[in-house]
Amino acid sequence: MKMKLIFWLITLTAIFCSCTVSTQLYTWGDYSNATYNFIKTRTDKDRDELITCYKKIIKDQSGERKTVPPGIYADYGYLLIQTGKSDEGKQMLSKEIELYPESKVFIEKIIKNIQ
Amino acid sequence: MKQLKITLVIAICVFMISGCTTTTNLTRKQAYPEMYRDPLLSILVMPPINKTNKVEAKEFFFTTLSQPLCEKGYYVIPPYLSMEIFKNESAYDADLFIDRPMDKFANYFGADIIFFTIIHRWEKMAVGGSITIEVEYIAKSTKTNTIVYKRSGTLVLDTSVQNIGGGGLMGALVQMAATAISTAATPHVKAARACNLFALSDFPSGKYNPSCISDSTQQAGEKTFRATVKVNQ
Repeated sequence: MKMKLIFWLITLTAIFCSCTVSTQLYTWGDYSNATYNFIKTRTDKDRDELITCYKKIIKDQSGERKTVPPGIYADYGYLLIQTGKSDEGKQMLSKEIELYPESKVFIEKIIKNIQ
Repeated sequence: MKQLKITLVIAICVFMISGCTTTTNLTRKQAYPEMYRDPLLSILVMPPINKTNKVEAKEFFFTTLSQPLCEKGYYVIPPYLSMEIFKNESAYDADLFIDRPMDKFANYFGADIIFFTIIHRWEKMAVGGSITIEVEYIAKSTKTNTIVYKRSGTLVLDTSVQNIGGGGLMGALVQMAATAISTAATPHVKAARACNLFALSDFPSGKYNPSCISDSTQQAGEKTFRATVKVNQ
């Protein structure tokens, strides 16, 4: 009887160990492909697709943290600045610092260089 | 007594079958002590060092590294922005920095960890349907200038198409042709992403991940790995 109990305890532990659900902290959409395509081609079409991807990531976060992943506001902001939308871009860079204070050292340098 | 032995053997077998990654006897804290000793919060991903003839391999990896590291709970320095800085400063070749002091990166980017990747092999096999990637991951602390994480290995990404064309010789030929087309068309970004996900599975969790610190007792992966992963089309 005791042996059976030990057996089931070990078996159930093993099942729980193997069935751990790894939840995502963030929602990424097509981030890797969109980033790769733009970096590779630098075309207006791929840039627009990357901007759309950033907007979607900012808007739809169903991951565990329910917040925008690190770097997204900053990369989106920098891309906006490169396309001439400086004010909107700087706002995004500031949002990065607000959400992730550890970005301050780097992002403040970027903002300073732009001004 | 005999029943006890059988019971224990079955229980051990269940344990062995349930594990699906190659692991060592070391816990993550034993394998990567510095990652737990002093909280390291932010990571700068360096442009990968590409030692292969596949020129695009550098970008395949660069664009797929930040996502798994963010998911591990770290602040990853904005990859596009940092890449633009590296290019503007003619510093897109990480080979120049890997053996140098890391403190400059801490001062400029505010990064605690500098993450290097060395791609040793990127080989696409059209017949048989696979991509073989040999890669090395090295994370260095900007605080101590030491290596805090190192893992390398070979990952075979199986891109074969199955159950097309029925049986017999003709079926096998159709299967082979379908696999060749599939491998040629397989998004390599997907392959790089799968490789990073597999290799970094034992990377200690950072502060934004609920298992930060508590994962210290989990088993670390083998320092050198070799595995086959099926990539869905």
